[in-house]
Amino acid sequence: MRDARSLILLLVSLLLVLVSFVLIWTWGYRFYNKNDEFKVAAKLVITDSNAMANRIRDSLQKVYNETLYKLDTQLDSTLLNSDSLKKQLDIKLAEFYRLSGEITAILNRRNNNYADIDVARKKIGELQSKADDMRDKNQVVDSENKKLTEILDQVQKAEKISDKNVKQGNAENNVAVEKNNPAYSVFTASEMKLSAITVNDEKESETFFADQTKKLVGVFTITNNNSQLNSAEVIVVVQQPDGRVLKNSEWESGSFSTPEGKKIYSYKLNFNYSKGEPKRLYFSLKADAYQKGNYTMLVYYNGTMIGKIFKTLS
Amino acid sequence: MRICTKSFYLVILTLLVNSLTLSAQNNYVKKFGNSVVFAGIEVGSKGVKMSLVEIEKTTLQNGSLNVMKDTTVNTDFISFTQATYQATLAALNGLYDMALKGYSIPANHIFTAVSSGVNIQAVKENKLTWVDQLTNAFRFNFNEPERKVSVIDVKEEARLSHLGIVPDSRRYNTFLIDIGSGNTKGGYFPNDNTKDFKLFQLTWGTKSTSNAVEKRLEGDNSLDNYNKQLARVLTGAENSEIVYAVNESGSYPVSDNVAFSGGIAWSLATLMYPELIGNSVVPVTYEEVLSFNEKLLKNHSSLSDNNIVKTLNDKTLDMDAIAKEVKRVNQVFDQRSLLAGTGLLLKIMRQFESVYEKKSFYLVKNGAVGWITAYVNQNSSN
Repeated sequence: MRDARSLILLLVSLLLVLVSFVLIWTWGYRFYNKNDEFKVAAKLVITDSNAMANRIRDSLQKVYNETLYKLDTQLDSTLLNSDSLKKQLDIKLAEFYRLSGEITAILNRRNNNYADIDVARKKIGELQSKADDMRDKNQVVDSENKKLTEILDQVQKAEKISDKNVKQGNAENNVAVEKNNPAYSVFTASEMKLSAITVNDEKESETFFADQTKKLVGVFTITNNNSQLNSAEVIVVVQQPDGRVLKNSEWESGSFSTPEGKKIYSYKLNFNYSKGEPKRLYFSLKADAYQKGNYTMLVYYNGTMIGKIFKTLS
Repeated sequence: MRICTKSFYLVILTLLVNSLTLSAQNNYVKKFGNSVVFAGIEVGSKGVKMSLVEIEKTTLQNGSLNVMKDTTVNTDFISFTQATYQATLAALNGLYDMALKGYSIPANHIFTAVSSGVNIQAVKENKLTWVDQLTNAFRFNFNEPERKVSVIDVKEEARLSHLGIVPDSRRYNTFLIDIGSGNTKGGYFPNDNTKDFKLFQLTWGTKSTSNAVEKRLEGDNSLDNYNKQLARVLTGAENSEIVYAVNESGSYPVSDNVAFSGGIAWSLATLMYPELIGNSVVPVTYEEVLSFNEKLLKNHSSLSDNNIVKTLNDKTLDMDAIAKEVKRVNQVFDQRSLLAGTGLLLKIMRQFESVYEKKSFYLVKNGAVGWITAYVNQNSSN
């Protein structure tokens, strides 16, 4: 029994020694293998340089193409948005294309050595840094463009407001000018005459005496060379010597607005009109009695006085 | 007590009329060298009016006339109460006496009539006996049993108004519309003679429109609500009656001028054109009335007598007379009544507004004496 126990212990010890040995051997093997791998890799580089160069060239081509593509798209937008920087961009582009041409030439060579590839790598790096530089510039240009667009929008808005104001201002000025200066009015009145008429034996003749006057007859010529109007309306005011407006009939008189305020008119004449046509217009006013003194005949168009004459009755 | 009050009322009225009579002695100026003066006394719904009309002798048939004076005593006869009856009778007697004694107008040159408004209301309320009693009492008072006191029907009154207001030169191309307080009436002469008259009538007037709005307010008495309800009332009136009535009148193609008379026309003419205080008629456009309506709603205070006078700078104008007349308008029509009347006027005017043809609109201020003037003219030539 005792022998059997000793035997088991012996076997276990042997087993442990064996396991220890295996572990030590495995560790030594792995350590040895690691050094061997490094040596193999170094060996591979040396022994198969062409394949390695092709692989690297392909990856570089990929990086180059990608860089080129990105740059192209950015350049498109840059070209579109930065006309002012066109010259500068042209120089950069020329540099870029020269560099890319050199890289393409290197990469297209089948018998490239390691040094060539190194040069290509350096040039691609340079190309990338230039692309990055241009991208940065593009961003600067973009942001500048944005700022410029905003400024432009503000300017346009301001311009629109200013245009509107100018138009309104012009309209107001025109109105003001038309209302204040007869020279700028659409119509001009000329050949104005105000006559006092008396009737003897049913025959009408002109008189200069107030007590003989039966009616006042006014005539004037209206001309408009500026605008085409199919119909128009002019207003006549005849002021009596006491300043009151002479009215023919209450149905024919009324009031109208002028820059100086509301005024009463004696007569309103509506007529058809063709541009440039000298239109002769007539009116007559009847009163119960006529005062001695100065009568004033005023012709208005659109609230603006376009003609004025005096007539004296004694 | 009741008898005492009545007596006091009558004494006051008689004193008032007598004082008017005394102050009226020769208190008018003739326009024509050779003319005759007539008086027309009308018993109307609101009061008794008298117009003194001067007619040129040589042109009696043509009706060349001059309204020299018109006087009104407010009595509200159509209320048909004892007090208003007595007041109306006193006013009628007083004005007749004034014409007879004060102005020395012979009795055969004084014409008396009862307006269609009184007649319509009397028929409606079965009070025709009140009208008969009034005219009989008046005849008895002056011992003139044969005196003619005509009761005018609505068509005749509208026809006479046209003859009294519209000048001959515009007789056959003018549509006259009288916007009253309870209704609107008018018309035109379609056949180039003054016998055939086409009557135009609406059941809407300034007061009836305002009353209809008041009924819709339902406790919200704000101006905004009034204006909102007014728009609804007027839209209803336009759709149910105004459009149809104007179309049915057939006046559009034959009328170049549309003249509006009545209280609202007088008010608007006075407030819109104070500088034309001397004109009994003023021309106006739809746009001007529309703009005035906005002013009424948003800036009614600008229409006070003081504010209106401030806007005038013509030194030849009689500012006191303008201020007095504007004040009178504001006493008769408040903001809401003006809005109601202007709204109704605009609805009627709109029927005559067209892109292709523009009508000339006029506001007549002396419409109240229009028909009685024509009545005098018509009877004087007979």
